Amino acid sequence: MTASDSVDEALASFREMMATDGYVLTWSEAGDDKVVVKISATDGACEDCLVPLPIMTNIMAKALAPTPYELDHVELPGSH
Amino acid sequence: MSTSTREALLYPTGAAEGLSEGTLSPRPVSLKGLTVGLLDNTKPNSTLLLDEIAADLKRDYGIGEIKHYVKDYFGTPVKDELFDQIVSEVDIVITAVGDCGSCSAATVADGIKFERAGIPTVSITSDSFAMSGQAMADVQGFPGFEFVMVQHPVASLDVEHIRGRADQAVPEALRILGVTETI
Repeated sequence: MTASDSVDEALASFREMMATDGYVLTWSEAGDDKVVVKISATDGACEDCLVPLPIMTNIMAKALAPTPYELDHVELPGSH
Repeated sequence: MSTSTREALLYPTGAAEGLSEGTLSPRPVSLKGLTVGLLDNTKPNSTLLLDEIAADLKRDYGIGEIKHYVKDYFGTPVKDELFDQIVSEVDIVITAVGDCGSCSAATVADGIKFERAGIPTVSITSDSFAMSGQAMADVQGFPGFEFVMVQHPVASLDVEHIRGRADQAVPEALRILGVTETI
């Protein structure tokens, strides 16, 4: 398994959680061993349902712990 | 989400000094005669799920009065005025339902807030949002806070299926409350 695959695997369950509220989770590398997680809203997203940034950051940092990457930051859509 | 709303969600007590408190309130062992507060977060089927659970607890565990409370918004913890009222009126709180990202986090935050006020509390989320609830417990400095996770979904279910979710929730609620005595 590549490092990229390990991130995909680590975030898979969170993708499902976010999809339940109408959001799409993607990630990208940001320098050495760092990952930026981006949450994007679909047309049917529940705006009031989105987990606030500090909670999302906690979730993503823990999820990435088993991978070779660390969380750099999380980007939430719009005004969140 | 506004800054004030976000702060309300993260610091429901309004003070950071309490965030390291990770001890449960004293457990009741028996529910007989205890007043139970049902805190509805306004998500669909919350009322029905809470009523079904309370009916079971009445029939099999002899709870006393049942009091209903409703939050004004599901995505943030219970406001202080309602919180104070509930703390003064009940022995136990059951709150539901966290079936989205923000409301599952808020439901767990509510449970922690009541536990820190000495009220044994059962917070109920759907299993799809367990990570959100656990993250809130971590951020609140109470990583060992246990909450009930019922199968997702909840909001879209009919009465019969909500009955099934109540059947899932009751044994876990009793375990979390430390109840061992039936009537």
